[in-house]
Amino acid sequence: MVVRLGREVARARPRIETVRRSRRTPVLMVLPAAVVLAAITLFPLLFTLRLTVLSWELTTGFPPRFIGLQNFVRVLAQDPRFWNAMANTGVLVAVGVGLQTAIGIGLALELNRLRRGRTLVLSLLLIPVMIAPVIAGFQFRMILNDQYGPLNYLLDALTFGRVHGYAWLADPGVALWAVMAADVWQWTPFMTLVVLAGLQSLPGELLEAAEVDGATGPQALRRVTLPLLLPVIVIGVLVRFMDTFKLFDIVYQLTGGGPGNVTETIAYYTYLQGFKFFSLGYTAAMAFVQLVVITIVAQVFLRYQKRVRGGAIA
Amino acid sequence: MRRRSPARRLATGLVLLAALVFFLFPVLWMVLTSFKSNPEFFAYPPVFIPKSFALTNYLNAMRMPPDGRGGLQGVRDSLIVSAGSMLISVLAGAPAAYSFARFRTGGENLSFWVLSTRMFPPVASALPLFLVFKALHLLDTHWALIVANTIFNLPFVIWLLKGFFEDLPAELEEAAVIDGTTIFGAFRRVALPLVAPGLAATALFSFIFAWNEFMFALLFTRSDVRTLTIIVPSLVGGHEILWGQVAAVGVVAIIPNILLALLLQRYLVRGLTLGAVKG
Repeated sequence: MVVRLGREVARARPRIETVRRSRRTPVLMVLPAAVVLAAITLFPLLFTLRLTVLSWELTTGFPPRFIGLQNFVRVLAQDPRFWNAMANTGVLVAVGVGLQTAIGIGLALELNRLRRGRTLVLSLLLIPVMIAPVIAGFQFRMILNDQYGPLNYLLDALTFGRVHGYAWLADPGVALWAVMAADVWQWTPFMTLVVLAGLQSLPGELLEAAEVDGATGPQALRRVTLPLLLPVIVIGVLVRFMDTFKLFDIVYQLTGGGPGNVTETIAYYTYLQGFKFFSLGYTAAMAFVQLVVITIVAQVFLRYQKRVRGGAIA
Repeated sequence: MRRRSPARRLATGLVLLAALVFFLFPVLWMVLTSFKSNPEFFAYPPVFIPKSFALTNYLNAMRMPPDGRGGLQGVRDSLIVSAGSMLISVLAGAPAAYSFARFRTGGENLSFWVLSTRMFPPVASALPLFLVFKALHLLDTHWALIVANTIFNLPFVIWLLKGFFEDLPAELEEAAVIDGTTIFGAFRRVALPLVAPGLAATALFSFIFAWNEFMFALLFTRSDVRTLTIIVPSLVGGHEILWGQVAAVGVVAIIPNILLALLLQRYLVRGLTLGAVKG
């Protein structure tokens, strides 16, 4: 009896094994990635969450101390420098990404009209997008150099010497716009690329139909083309929003947050708190506030994108 | 086909020409500066075309500064870090992407998780990683940067490759499995060769992301490891800035980027929008 049962099990095993293995393989294939990701993304997230309720100043040498939600109170209610950094970042996101989108759409429409050499022009335009932001910052430092930079030379020549040796990065009223210029320079072609991809997947008949119905160029653009492009534009703006919110490299290379704090972005201020002042708990709380803001905005974008997405694009 | 007036076409040409000048001039200026001697840089009106295109600045930049191995060290470290992170991301990411694409392991949450790794402020992941690396004596090593770059690269690779696998008809792999191949065999011998171009593009993108990375390199390294993105700003910080040499390092640092911009053309939309727009 026992022997027979054993034999039956033995005979049945291969089939069960195959089924089980086929269910196991997909899980096994995910496993390495899951382990790595848990270690490098999930762990820092939980660790940071834990840090937010601690007072931990590496500079003083005192051991970490539980202080409840005090770090969050400090971020939200007692730190004007945090809100200054948020405001600067807000300007860079709203005006900077706005400019990138507007110019990007304009250039994409022009590129789409080009009959020959479109690919070549596009790949040349995309060079700024591909290079490291730190290098882009370095390039702008040379362009904006007050004494020897080509921009001031151009202004000098155009105004017959009336504007001469202007210190762009030292003027508190201008420095933030200089940082924005570098970011707009680097990322406008990205929006062009995205919008052009959208334009090329538009059905041509729609535009022709609009024209037959008597829609003139600007009308067709506003009523037909732009609404159809909206889903792609929203994705592009979302990607740019998330990156601009973290803007750090260009600030570090161009202004170091100065003069004063006028170009201090939220990423830069968080870096100072964490790695110059070594306030670990406070930095973690600040990082969490940022994460919440980004998540909410991204969700709004994604909802909106889902609502406007109606065709084959994106 | 709509007909366009010559005036309209001229306007298109002029707008695009202006755009090319605007977007390429800063890069061109860096290239020109990399050939200038110091007096040529400190000249007014500025020198546009340097007298000689000798490689002096490049040769000096690759050796300098006297206390270190300079630009060449940057090239080496940037290569090791970028290649390392690319390899880990592709090796761990490709099977995972296949599993997600064909068996829906993990369901819908995956997409948001991938996006959220892009959203998480890098300073926030840097803080715990810094403490861990410090405890493990990994600060100022290539490993620290390889791991840190994988935070973004691995989800990116999974997400992009998942899209490429989904574009593939499943019939071929199903046939292979019926013929007795294992699921892993179908992945490795059938699906993987078919997505080879997409796989290469994805890998190169992850390489470039690590190549361009700055903040982790700034926080986790000091002297043993110095990527190119660290060397350039550190050279601009000093008292006497050798602009020509810094520009030379900058030019070396953007060579792979320009090559890949041309090479990856077909995949740029997809890669840069994190797979959201297929182009």
